[in-house]
Amino acid sequence: MILSPEVLTIFILNILFFIFGTIAFFLSVKIYLGWDNESVEQSQYKLEKQSFLTATIIKYIFAIKVPLFLFFIFTLDKISNVLVGAMCGAGVVDATPYGIYLFILKIINLYLFAYWLVLHNEDMKNEKLPFTKMKFGFYSIVYFLFIAELVIEGLMFSSIDIDKMVSCCGTIYSSSSTSYISTIFSLDSTILLVLFYGTFSLIILFYKLKFRYIYAILNILFIIISLITLIAFFGTYIYELPTHYCPFCFLQKDYYYVGYILYTTLFLGTFYGIVIGFIDKSKLEIEKSFKKSLIFNLLYVLIVTVYPVIYFLKNGVWL
Amino acid sequence: MIELKNINKVFEVNKNNKVIALQNINLSIDDGEIVVLKGASGSGKSTILSLIAGLSKPTSGEVIVDKKHIAKLPDNFASIYRRDNIGFIFQKYNLISTLSVSDNILLPLIPLNLDFDELNSKLDIVINRFNISHKKDSIVKNLSGGEQQRVAIARANINNPKIIIADEPTANLDEKLSLNFIEQLKELKSLGKTIIIATHDPLFFGLDFLDREIAINGGKIVL
Repeated sequence: MILSPEVLTIFILNILFFIFGTIAFFLSVKIYLGWDNESVEQSQYKLEKQSFLTATIIKYIFAIKVPLFLFFIFTLDKISNVLVGAMCGAGVVDATPYGIYLFILKIINLYLFAYWLVLHNEDMKNEKLPFTKMKFGFYSIVYFLFIAELVIEGLMFSSIDIDKMVSCCGTIYSSSSTSYISTIFSLDSTILLVLFYGTFSLIILFYKLKFRYIYAILNILFIIISLITLIAFFGTYIYELPTHYCPFCFLQKDYYYVGYILYTTLFLGTFYGIVIGFIDKSKLEIEKSFKKSLIFNLLYVLIVTVYPVIYFLKNGVWL
Repeated sequence: MIELKNINKVFEVNKNNKVIALQNINLSIDDGEIVVLKGASGSGKSTILSLIAGLSKPTSGEVIVDKKHIAKLPDNFASIYRRDNIGFIFQKYNLISTLSVSDNILLPLIPLNLDFDELNSKLDIVINRFNISHKKDSIVKNLSGGEQQRVAIARANINNPKIIIADEPTANLDEKLSLNFIEQLKELKSLGKTIIIATHDPLFFGLDFLDREIAINGGKIVL
Protein backbone atom coordinates (compact mmCIF):
# COMPACT_ATOMS: atom_id res chain seq x y z
CA MET A 1 0.00 0.00 0.00
CA ILE A 2 1.23 3.45 -0.83
CA LEU A 3 0.18 6.45 1.22
CA SER A 4 1.75 9.56 -0.23
CA PRO A 5 0.09 12.92 0.57
CA GLU A 6 -1.50 12.87 -2.89
CA VAL A 7 -2.96 9.37 -2.40
CA LEU A 8 -4.21 10.33 1.06
CA THR A 9 -5.90 13.38 -0.45
CA ILE A 10 -7.62 11.16 -3.01
CA PHE A 11 -8.70 8.70 -0.28
CA ILE A 12 -10.14 11.43 1.94
CA LEU A 13 -11.98 13.00 -1.00
CA ASN A 14 -13.28 9.57 -2.03
CA ILE A 15 -14.73 8.97 1.44
CA LEU A 16 -16.53 12.32 1.26
CA PHE A 17 -17.67 11.60 -2.29
CA PHE A 18 -19.01 8.22 -1.18
CA ILE A 19 -21.02 9.65 1.74
CA PHE A 20 -22.52 12.59 -0.14
CA GLY A 21 -22.85 10.66 -3.41
CA THR A 22 -24.85 7.95 -1.65
CA ILE A 23 -27.16 10.46 0.04
CA ALA A 24 -27.67 12.06 -3.38
CA PHE A 25 -28.35 8.63 -4.90
CA PHE A 26 -31.24 7.80 -2.55
CA LEU A 27 -32.74 11.26 -3.00
CA SER A 28 -32.29 11.01 -6.79
CA VAL A 29 -34.20 7.74 -6.95
CA LYS A 30 -36.96 9.28 -4.81
CA ILE A 31 -37.15 12.36 -7.04
CA TYR A 32 -37.05 10.31 -10.25
CA LEU A 33 -39.91 8.09 -9.12
CA GLY A 34 -42.12 10.82 -7.67
CA TRP A 35 -41.49 13.83 -9.95
CA ASP A 36 -44.54 15.47 -11.52
CA ASN A 37 -43.82 19.05 -12.46
CA GLU A 38 -47.49 19.89 -12.98
CA SER A 39 -48.52 18.82 -9.50
CA VAL A 40 -49.20 21.38 -6.75
CA GLU A 41 -49.41 18.77 -4.01
CA GLN A 42 -47.32 18.79 -0.87
CA SER A 43 -45.24 15.83 -2.03
CA GLN A 44 -44.18 17.61 -5.24
CA TYR A 45 -43.21 20.83 -3.44
CA LYS A 46 -41.14 18.70 -1.07
CA LEU A 47 -39.46 16.95 -4.00
CA GLU A 48 -38.69 20.32 -5.59
CA LYS A 49 -36.91 21.44 -2.43
CA GLN A 50 -35.03 18.14 -2.25
CA SER A 51 -34.13 18.34 -5.93
CA PHE A 52 -32.25 21.61 -5.39
CA LEU A 53 -30.36 20.13 -2.44
CA THR A 54 -29.55 16.93 -4.33
CA ALA A 55 -28.51 18.75 -7.49
CA THR A 56 -26.21 20.97 -5.42
CA ILE A 57 -24.54 17.92 -3.85
CA ILE A 58 -24.05 16.19 -7.21
CA LYS A 59 -22.92 19.40 -8.88
CA TYR A 60 -20.15 19.94 -6.35
CA ILE A 61 -19.03 16.30 -6.41
CA PHE A 62 -18.78 16.27 -10.20
CA ALA A 63 -17.37 19.78 -10.42
CA ILE A 64 -14.51 18.53 -8.23
CA LYS A 65 -14.27 15.10 -9.86
CA VAL A 66 -13.73 16.40 -13.40
CA PRO A 67 -10.57 18.44 -12.69
CA LEU A 68 -9.53 15.81 -10.14
CA PHE A 69 -8.78 13.54 -13.10
CA LEU A 70 -5.74 15.70 -13.84
CA PHE A 71 -4.72 15.43 -10.18
CA PHE A 72 -5.06 11.64 -10.44
CA ILE A 73 -2.69 11.59 -13.43
CA PHE A 74 -0.33 13.91 -11.57
CA THR A 75 -0.44 11.52 -8.58
CA LEU A 76 0.40 8.52 -10.74
CA ASP A 77 3.34 10.39 -12.14
CA LYS A 78 4.48 11.51 -8.69
CA ILE A 79 4.37 8.10 -7.04
CA SER A 80 6.19 6.53 -9.98
CA ASN A 81 9.32 7.96 -8.30
CA VAL A 82 9.04 5.48 -5.43
CA LEU A 83 8.25 2.39 -7.52
CA VAL A 84 11.30 0.45 -8.66
CA GLY A 85 11.35 0.29 -12.43
CA ALA A 86 8.63 2.88 -13.05
CA MET A 87 9.67 5.90 -15.07
CA CYS A 88 6.24 7.56 -15.25
CA GLY A 89 2.55 6.97 -14.49
CA ALA A 90 2.49 4.03 -16.91
CA GLY A 91 4.49 1.91 -14.46
CA VAL A 92 2.01 2.67 -11.68
CA VAL A 93 -0.98 1.80 -13.88
CA ASP A 94 0.71 -1.47 -14.79
CA ALA A 95 1.77 -2.23 -11.19
CA THR A 96 -1.62 -3.77 -10.31
CA PRO A 97 -4.28 -5.58 -12.31
CA TYR A 98 -6.74 -2.76 -11.45
CA GLY A 99 -4.78 0.10 -13.06
CA ILE A 100 -5.90 -0.19 -16.66
CA TYR A 101 -9.57 -0.79 -15.72
CA LEU A 102 -9.51 2.18 -13.39
CA PHE A 103 -8.07 4.34 -16.12
CA ILE A 104 -10.69 3.32 -18.68
CA LEU A 105 -13.48 3.76 -16.12
CA LYS A 106 -12.16 7.18 -15.15
CA ILE A 107 -12.19 8.37 -18.77
CA ILE A 108 -15.76 7.08 -19.26
CA ASN A 109 -16.88 8.68 -15.99
CA LEU A 110 -15.18 11.94 -16.89
CA TYR A 111 -17.46 12.30 -19.90
CA LEU A 112 -20.54 11.13 -17.95
CA PHE A 113 -19.92 13.53 -15.04
CA ALA A 114 -19.32 16.43 -17.40
CA TYR A 115 -22.49 15.45 -19.31
CA TRP A 116 -24.48 15.55 -16.06
CA LEU A 117 -23.12 19.03 -15.30
CA VAL A 118 -24.21 20.30 -18.71
CA LEU A 119 -27.61 18.63 -18.29
CA HIS A 120 -28.04 20.31 -14.90
CA ASN A 121 -26.93 23.64 -16.30
CA GLU A 122 -29.49 23.41 -19.09
CA ASP A 123 -32.18 22.36 -16.63
CA MET A 124 -31.59 25.39 -14.43
CA LYS A 125 -31.89 27.73 -17.43
CA ASN A 126 -35.55 26.85 -17.95
CA GLU A 127 -38.23 27.66 -15.36
CA LYS A 128 -40.11 24.48 -16.30
CA LEU A 129 -37.07 22.38 -15.27
CA PRO A 130 -37.37 20.13 -18.34
CA PHE A 131 -34.36 17.91 -17.56
CA THR A 132 -34.94 17.32 -13.83
CA LYS A 133 -36.31 13.82 -14.12
CA MET A 134 -33.70 12.93 -16.73
CA LYS A 135 -30.74 14.26 -14.75
CA PHE A 136 -31.69 12.41 -11.56
CA GLY A 137 -32.45 9.24 -13.48
CA PHE A 138 -29.09 9.59 -15.20
CA TYR A 139 -27.32 10.10 -11.86
CA SER A 140 -29.06 7.04 -10.40
CA ILE A 141 -27.35 4.95 -13.09
CA VAL A 142 -24.01 6.80 -13.15
CA TYR A 143 -23.81 6.42 -9.35
CA PHE A 144 -22.88 2.75 -9.76
CA LEU A 145 -20.02 3.60 -12.12
CA PHE A 146 -19.02 6.38 -9.74
CA ILE A 147 -18.89 3.97 -6.78
CA ALA A 148 -17.09 1.37 -8.92
CA GLU A 149 -14.44 3.99 -9.67
CA LEU A 150 -13.99 4.82 -5.97
CA VAL A 151 -13.72 1.13 -5.05
CA ILE A 152 -11.27 0.25 -7.85
CA GLU A 153 -9.22 3.35 -7.03
CA GLY A 154 -9.01 2.23 -3.40
CA LEU A 155 -8.06 -1.29 -4.49
CA MET A 156 -5.42 -0.03 -6.88
CA PHE A 157 -3.61 2.25 -4.45
CA SER A 158 -3.88 -0.24 -1.59
CA SER A 159 -2.50 -3.13 -3.64
CA ILE A 160 0.60 -1.36 -4.92
CA ASP A 161 3.63 -3.14 -3.50
CA ILE A 162 6.52 -0.69 -3.38
CA ASP A 163 9.04 -3.53 -2.95
CA LYS A 164 7.95 -5.19 -6.18
CA MET A 165 9.69 -4.22 -9.40
CA VAL A 166 7.37 -2.90 -12.10
CA SER A 167 7.81 -2.39 -15.83
CA CYS A 168 8.70 0.98 -17.25
CA CYS A 169 6.72 2.52 -20.08
CA GLY A 170 9.44 1.58 -22.56
CA THR A 171 8.65 -2.08 -21.91
CA ILE A 172 4.86 -1.79 -21.54
CA TYR A 173 4.35 0.22 -24.70
CA SER A 174 7.06 -1.25 -26.93
CA SER A 175 6.19 -2.66 -30.34
CA SER A 176 7.77 -5.96 -29.29
CA SER A 177 5.44 -6.23 -26.31
CA THR A 178 2.76 -8.91 -26.48
CA SER A 179 0.06 -6.70 -24.95
CA TYR A 180 -2.98 -5.79 -27.02
CA ILE A 181 -2.04 -2.10 -26.88
CA SER A 182 1.23 -2.83 -28.70
CA THR A 183 -0.73 -3.80 -31.83
CA ILE A 184 -1.51 -0.13 -32.47
CA PHE A 185 2.19 0.71 -32.70
CA SER A 186 2.55 -1.50 -35.73
CA LEU A 187 -0.19 0.39 -37.59
CA ASP A 188 0.91 2.26 -40.66
CA SER A 189 1.56 5.95 -39.91
CA THR A 190 0.08 7.10 -43.22
CA ILE A 191 -3.21 5.32 -42.52
CA LEU A 192 -3.28 6.76 -38.98
CA LEU A 193 -2.66 10.29 -40.23
CA VAL A 194 -5.26 9.99 -42.98
CA LEU A 195 -7.76 8.81 -40.36
CA PHE A 196 -6.78 11.58 -37.92
CA TYR A 197 -6.81 14.53 -40.32
CA GLY A 198 -9.67 13.00 -42.29
CA THR A 199 -11.88 12.81 -39.18
CA PHE A 200 -10.93 16.34 -38.22
CA SER A 201 -11.75 17.56 -41.74
CA LEU A 202 -15.16 15.90 -41.45
CA ILE A 203 -15.64 17.62 -38.09
CA ILE A 204 -15.03 20.97 -39.79
CA LEU A 205 -17.35 20.01 -42.64
CA PHE A 206 -20.21 19.03 -40.33
CA TYR A 207 -19.57 22.11 -38.22
CA LYS A 208 -20.23 24.16 -41.34
CA LEU A 209 -23.28 22.06 -42.22
CA LYS A 210 -24.47 22.11 -38.57
CA PHE A 211 -25.41 18.43 -38.60
CA ARG A 212 -25.34 18.02 -34.84
CA TYR A 213 -25.84 14.24 -34.57
CA ILE A 214 -23.16 13.36 -37.13
CA TYR A 215 -20.91 15.97 -35.50
CA ALA A 216 -21.37 14.25 -32.13
CA ILE A 217 -20.62 10.79 -33.57
CA LEU A 218 -17.51 12.14 -35.31
CA ASN A 219 -16.30 13.51 -31.99
CA ILE A 220 -16.63 10.09 -30.36
CA LEU A 221 -14.59 8.69 -33.23
CA PHE A 222 -12.11 11.54 -32.90
CA ILE A 223 -11.34 10.67 -29.24
CA ILE A 224 -10.34 7.13 -30.19
CA ILE A 225 -8.36 8.09 -33.30
CA SER A 226 -6.66 10.97 -31.49
CA LEU A 227 -5.53 8.80 -28.59
CA ILE A 228 -4.17 6.14 -30.96
CA THR A 229 -2.31 8.65 -33.17
CA LEU A 230 -1.04 10.50 -30.11
CA ILE A 231 0.53 7.35 -28.70
CA ALA A 232 1.61 5.73 -31.97
CA PHE A 233 2.72 8.76 -33.99
CA PHE A 234 2.72 12.26 -32.47
CA GLY A 235 4.15 11.05 -29.14
CA THR A 236 7.32 9.86 -30.86
CA TYR A 237 7.89 13.42 -32.11
CA ILE A 238 7.23 14.90 -28.66
CA TYR A 239 9.87 12.52 -27.25
CA GLU A 240 11.98 12.71 -30.41
CA LEU A 241 12.40 8.95 -30.09
CA PRO A 242 10.91 6.66 -32.73
CA THR A 243 10.44 3.75 -30.31
CA HIS A 244 8.88 5.55 -27.34
CA TYR A 245 5.10 5.21 -27.23
CA CYS A 246 4.20 6.26 -23.69
CA PRO A 247 0.95 8.19 -23.07
CA PHE A 248 2.27 9.42 -19.68
CA CYS A 249 5.83 10.67 -20.13
CA PHE A 250 4.77 13.90 -21.84
CA LEU A 251 2.93 14.82 -18.62
CA GLN A 252 6.35 15.36 -17.05
CA LYS A 253 8.43 18.48 -16.63
CA ASP A 254 10.93 17.31 -19.27
CA TYR A 255 8.25 17.81 -21.90
CA TYR A 256 6.90 21.04 -20.37
CA TYR A 257 3.80 19.22 -19.08
CA VAL A 258 2.39 19.38 -22.61
CA GLY A 259 0.37 16.21 -21.93
CA TYR A 260 -1.97 18.13 -19.60
CA ILE A 261 -2.70 20.65 -22.35
CA LEU A 262 -3.18 17.90 -24.93
CA TYR A 263 -5.56 15.81 -22.82
CA THR A 264 -7.48 18.87 -21.60
CA THR A 265 -8.02 20.31 -25.09
CA LEU A 266 -8.95 16.89 -26.47
CA PHE A 267 -11.42 16.33 -23.63
CA LEU A 268 -13.04 19.78 -23.93
CA GLY A 269 -13.21 19.66 -27.73
CA THR A 270 -14.74 16.21 -27.94
CA PHE A 271 -16.96 16.74 -24.91
CA TYR A 272 -18.64 19.86 -26.28
CA GLY A 273 -18.92 18.08 -29.60
CA ILE A 274 -20.63 15.05 -28.08
CA VAL A 275 -22.97 17.15 -25.92
CA ILE A 276 -24.45 18.74 -29.05
CA GLY A 277 -25.93 15.40 -30.04
CA PHE A 278 -27.24 14.44 -26.63
CA ILE A 279 -28.98 17.51 -25.20
CA ASP A 280 -31.73 19.52 -26.84
CA LYS A 281 -30.49 23.02 -26.21
CA SER A 282 -31.51 26.32 -27.73
CA LYS A 283 -30.12 27.20 -31.17
CA LEU A 284 -27.83 29.79 -29.62
CA GLU A 285 -26.49 27.34 -27.03
CA ILE A 286 -25.91 24.68 -29.67
CA GLU A 287 -23.99 27.21 -31.75
CA LYS A 288 -21.87 28.05 -28.69
CA SER A 289 -21.11 24.36 -28.09
CA PHE A 290 -20.25 23.91 -31.78
CA LYS A 291 -17.77 26.79 -31.54
CA LYS A 292 -16.20 25.64 -28.25
CA SER A 293 -15.84 22.13 -29.60
CA LEU A 294 -14.21 23.27 -32.83
CA ILE A 295 -11.85 25.70 -31.08
CA PHE A 296 -10.56 23.08 -28.60
CA ASN A 297 -10.31 20.36 -31.24
CA LEU A 298 -8.47 22.73 -33.54
CA LEU A 299 -6.12 23.67 -30.71
CA TYR A 300 -5.41 20.00 -30.08
CA VAL A 301 -4.74 19.32 -33.76
CA LEU A 302 -2.45 22.35 -34.04
CA ILE A 303 -0.41 21.42 -30.96
CA VAL A 304 0.14 17.81 -32.01
CA THR A 305 0.91 18.87 -35.58
CA VAL A 306 3.54 21.36 -34.51
CA TYR A 307 5.84 18.65 -33.08
CA PRO A 308 6.50 16.64 -36.29
CA VAL A 309 6.68 19.85 -38.34
CA ILE A 310 9.33 21.36 -36.04
CA TYR A 311 11.20 18.06 -35.98
CA PHE A 312 11.25 17.97 -39.78
CA LEU A 313 12.34 21.59 -40.07
CA LYS A 314 15.15 21.01 -37.57
CA ASN A 315 16.37 17.66 -38.88
CA GLY A 316 15.17 17.46 -42.47
CA VAL A 317 13.80 13.93 -41.98
CA TRP A 318 10.71 12.24 -40.50
CA LEU A 319 11.05 9.71 -37.71
CA MET B 1 -54.33 39.19 -11.76
CA ILE B 2 -53.23 37.39 -8.62
CA GLU B 3 -54.85 34.08 -7.72
CA LEU B 4 -54.26 31.91 -4.70
CA LYS B 5 -55.88 28.49 -4.99
CA ASN B 6 -56.26 26.00 -2.13
CA ILE B 7 -53.18 27.34 -0.40
CA ASN B 8 -51.88 25.59 2.68
CA LYS B 9 -48.72 26.57 4.44
CA VAL B 10 -47.29 24.60 7.33
CA PHE B 11 -44.03 25.50 9.05
CA GLU B 12 -42.42 22.34 10.34
CA VAL B 13 -40.32 23.33 13.33
CA ASN B 14 -39.61 19.65 13.96
CA LYS B 15 -41.50 16.37 13.54
CA ASN B 16 -43.68 16.98 16.59
CA ASN B 17 -44.10 20.69 16.21
CA LYS B 18 -45.92 21.98 13.16
CA VAL B 19 -47.32 25.48 12.83
CA ILE B 20 -50.23 25.78 10.43
CA ALA B 21 -49.86 29.29 8.99
CA LEU B 22 -52.46 29.12 6.22
CA GLN B 23 -55.38 26.78 5.64
CA ASN B 24 -57.12 26.35 2.33
CA ILE B 25 -56.80 29.96 1.22
CA ASN B 26 -58.59 30.93 -1.98
CA LEU B 27 -58.19 34.51 -3.06
CA SER B 28 -58.07 36.51 -6.24
CA ILE B 29 -56.97 40.11 -6.66
CA ASP B 30 -57.58 42.02 -9.89
CA ASP B 31 -55.07 44.30 -11.57
CA GLY B 32 -55.07 47.79 -10.07
CA GLU B 33 -56.89 46.71 -6.91
CA ILE B 34 -55.82 47.97 -3.52
CA VAL B 35 -56.42 45.35 -0.87
CA VAL B 36 -55.82 45.36 2.86
CA LEU B 37 -55.18 42.10 4.66
CA LYS B 38 -56.08 42.69 8.28
CA GLY B 39 -55.64 40.50 11.27
CA ALA B 40 -53.72 40.04 14.48
CA SER B 41 -50.03 39.17 14.64
CA GLY B 42 -49.49 35.57 13.56
CA SER B 43 -52.75 35.38 11.66
CA GLY B 44 -50.98 34.61 8.34
CA LYS B 45 -51.05 38.02 6.59
CA SER B 46 -47.30 38.22 6.00
CA THR B 47 -47.22 34.60 4.85
CA ILE B 48 -49.71 35.45 2.10
CA LEU B 49 -47.55 38.39 1.06
CA SER B 50 -44.41 36.27 0.92
CA LEU B 51 -46.21 33.68 -1.23
CA ILE B 52 -47.40 36.33 -3.69
CA ALA B 53 -43.89 37.78 -3.81
CA GLY B 54 -42.38 34.36 -4.51
CA LEU B 55 -40.29 34.61 -1.35
CA SER B 56 -41.65 31.32 -0.05
CA LYS B 57 -43.52 28.37 -1.44
CA PRO B 58 -46.77 26.91 -0.19
CA THR B 59 -46.95 23.46 1.34
CA SER B 60 -49.66 22.79 -1.24
CA GLY B 61 -51.77 24.81 -3.63
CA GLU B 62 -51.21 27.30 -6.43
CA VAL B 63 -50.05 30.91 -6.58
CA ILE B 64 -50.72 32.36 -10.02
CA VAL B 65 -49.72 35.88 -11.03
CA ASP B 66 -50.60 36.90 -14.58
CA LYS B 67 -51.05 33.22 -15.48
CA LYS B 68 -47.56 32.39 -14.18
CA HIS B 69 -47.27 29.72 -11.49
CA ILE B 70 -45.09 31.56 -9.01
CA ALA B 71 -44.77 28.76 -6.48
CA LYS B 72 -43.38 26.46 -9.17
CA LEU B 73 -40.58 28.81 -10.13
CA PRO B 74 -37.00 27.79 -9.30
CA ASP B 75 -35.21 30.31 -7.06
CA ASN B 76 -33.32 32.06 -9.86
CA PHE B 77 -36.54 32.62 -11.83
CA ALA B 78 -38.41 33.69 -8.69
CA SER B 79 -35.75 36.38 -8.20
CA ILE B 80 -36.29 37.65 -11.75
CA TYR B 81 -40.06 37.63 -11.19
CA ARG B 82 -39.64 39.70 -8.01
CA ARG B 83 -37.21 42.09 -9.66
CA ASP B 84 -39.57 42.75 -12.57
CA ASN B 85 -42.95 42.69 -10.86
CA ILE B 86 -42.81 43.37 -7.15
CA GLY B 87 -42.02 46.42 -5.05
CA PHE B 88 -41.63 45.88 -1.32
CA ILE B 89 -42.34 48.23 1.54
CA PHE B 90 -41.25 46.79 4.86
CA GLN B 91 -42.20 47.62 8.42
CA LYS B 92 -38.65 48.62 9.34
CA TYR B 93 -37.94 50.09 5.87
CA ASN B 94 -34.93 47.70 5.37
CA LEU B 95 -32.77 50.54 4.07
CA ILE B 96 -28.98 50.49 4.25
CA SER B 97 -28.38 53.19 6.81
CA THR B 98 -24.84 54.10 5.71
CA LEU B 99 -25.73 54.65 2.06
CA SER B 100 -27.24 57.77 0.55
CA VAL B 101 -30.89 58.10 -0.40
CA SER B 102 -30.04 57.76 -4.12
CA ASP B 103 -27.96 54.65 -3.60
CA ASN B 104 -30.67 52.99 -1.54
CA ILE B 105 -33.32 53.75 -4.12
CA LEU B 106 -31.17 52.49 -6.99
CA LEU B 107 -30.23 49.22 -5.30
CA PRO B 108 -32.92 47.08 -7.00
CA LEU B 109 -31.60 48.16 -10.40
CA ILE B 110 -28.04 46.89 -9.88
CA PRO B 111 -28.65 43.50 -11.60
CA LEU B 112 -30.01 45.26 -14.70
CA ASN B 113 -26.65 46.89 -15.58
CA LEU B 114 -28.32 50.06 -16.81
CA ASP B 115 -26.23 52.98 -17.96
CA PHE B 116 -25.75 56.09 -15.85
CA ASP B 117 -28.24 58.28 -17.74
CA GLU B 118 -30.97 55.67 -17.54
CA LEU B 119 -30.41 55.21 -13.81
CA ASN B 120 -30.56 58.96 -13.25
CA SER B 121 -33.75 59.42 -15.21
CA LYS B 122 -35.47 56.62 -13.27
CA LEU B 123 -34.18 58.08 -10.01
CA ASP B 124 -35.44 61.56 -10.85
CA ILE B 125 -38.93 60.25 -11.53
CA VAL B 126 -39.34 58.51 -8.17
CA ILE B 127 -37.61 61.07 -5.94
CA ASN B 128 -39.80 63.80 -7.38
CA ARG B 129 -42.95 61.71 -7.17
CA PHE B 130 -42.37 60.88 -3.51
CA ASN B 131 -41.03 64.29 -2.60
CA ILE B 132 -37.57 63.28 -1.47
CA SER B 133 -35.44 64.99 -4.15
CA HIS B 134 -34.04 67.57 -1.71
CA LYS B 135 -32.54 64.72 0.34
CA LYS B 136 -31.16 62.66 -2.52
CA ASP B 137 -27.52 62.90 -1.37
CA SER B 138 -28.22 62.59 2.36
CA ILE B 139 -27.13 59.53 4.27
CA VAL B 140 -30.19 57.50 5.25
CA LYS B 141 -29.35 57.25 8.97
CA ASN B 142 -29.64 61.04 9.22
CA LEU B 143 -33.22 61.08 7.96
CA SER B 144 -36.41 61.17 10.02
CA GLY B 145 -38.77 58.17 10.17
CA GLY B 146 -41.18 59.73 7.65
CA GLU B 147 -38.37 60.51 5.22
CA GLN B 148 -37.03 57.01 5.52
CA GLN B 149 -40.50 55.69 4.76
CA ARG B 150 -40.62 57.83 1.60
CA VAL B 151 -37.21 56.49 0.55
CA ALA B 152 -38.55 52.97 1.07
CA ILE B 153 -41.59 53.75 -1.10
CA ALA B 154 -39.39 55.31 -3.77
CA ARG B 155 -37.17 52.24 -3.76
CA ALA B 156 -40.22 49.97 -4.08
CA ASN B 157 -41.21 51.92 -7.21
CA ILE B 158 -37.85 52.36 -8.92
CA ASN B 159 -38.34 49.29 -11.14
CA ASN B 160 -41.90 50.40 -11.92
CA PRO B 161 -43.46 47.19 -10.54
CA LYS B 162 -47.03 46.16 -11.24
CA ILE B 163 -47.51 44.96 -7.67
CA ILE B 164 -46.64 46.78 -4.46
CA ILE B 165 -46.49 44.71 -1.30
CA ALA B 166 -46.47 46.50 2.03
CA ASP B 167 -46.00 44.57 5.24
CA GLU B 168 -47.11 46.57 8.31
CA PRO B 169 -45.94 49.79 6.59
CA THR B 170 -47.07 52.15 9.36
CA ALA B 171 -46.01 50.12 12.38
CA ASN B 172 -43.04 52.43 12.99
CA LEU B 173 -44.77 55.71 12.16
CA ASP B 174 -46.77 58.12 14.24
CA GLU B 175 -50.33 58.99 13.21
CA LYS B 176 -49.40 62.04 11.14
CA LEU B 177 -46.78 60.16 9.15
CA SER B 178 -49.13 57.22 8.78
CA LEU B 179 -51.71 59.51 7.22
CA ASN B 180 -49.01 60.84 4.88
CA PHE B 181 -48.24 57.30 3.88
CA ILE B 182 -51.90 56.65 3.16
CA GLU B 183 -51.93 59.72 0.89
CA GLN B 184 -48.98 58.27 -1.00
CA LEU B 185 -50.88 55.01 -1.40
CA LYS B 186 -53.62 56.96 -3.19
CA GLU B 187 -51.01 58.22 -5.63
CA LEU B 188 -49.72 54.70 -6.22
CA LYS B 189 -53.26 53.53 -6.87
CA SER B 190 -53.72 56.31 -9.40
CA LEU B 191 -50.70 54.90 -11.26
CA GLY B 192 -52.68 51.68 -11.72
CA LYS B 193 -50.60 49.51 -9.43
CA THR B 194 -51.95 46.52 -7.58
CA ILE B 195 -51.32 47.15 -3.90
CA ILE B 196 -51.56 44.59 -1.11
CA ILE B 197 -51.10 45.78 2.43
CA ALA B 198 -50.85 43.58 5.47
CA THR B 199 -51.65 45.59 8.57
CA HIS B 200 -53.44 45.68 11.87
CA ASP B 201 -53.37 49.49 11.97
CA PRO B 202 -57.00 50.71 12.34
CA LEU B 203 -56.14 53.82 10.29
CA PHE B 204 -56.43 51.69 7.18
CA PHE B 205 -59.85 50.30 7.92
CA GLY B 206 -62.79 51.80 6.09
CA LEU B 207 -60.74 54.07 3.79
CA ASP B 208 -62.79 55.07 0.76
CA PHE B 209 -60.09 54.35 -1.83
CA LEU B 210 -59.56 50.77 -0.70
CA ASP B 211 -61.14 48.17 -2.95
CA ARG B 212 -61.31 45.43 -0.35
CA GLU B 213 -60.49 44.56 3.22
CA ILE B 214 -59.83 40.91 3.89
CA ALA B 215 -59.74 39.65 7.45
CA ILE B 216 -57.43 36.79 8.27
CA ASN B 217 -57.63 34.80 11.45
CA GLY B 218 -55.79 31.61 12.34
CA GLY B 219 -54.58 31.18 8.78
CA LYS B 220 -58.09 31.40 7.30
CA ILE B 221 -59.98 34.10 5.46
CA VAL B 222 -62.88 35.06 7.72
CA LEU B 223 -64.48 37.92 5.84
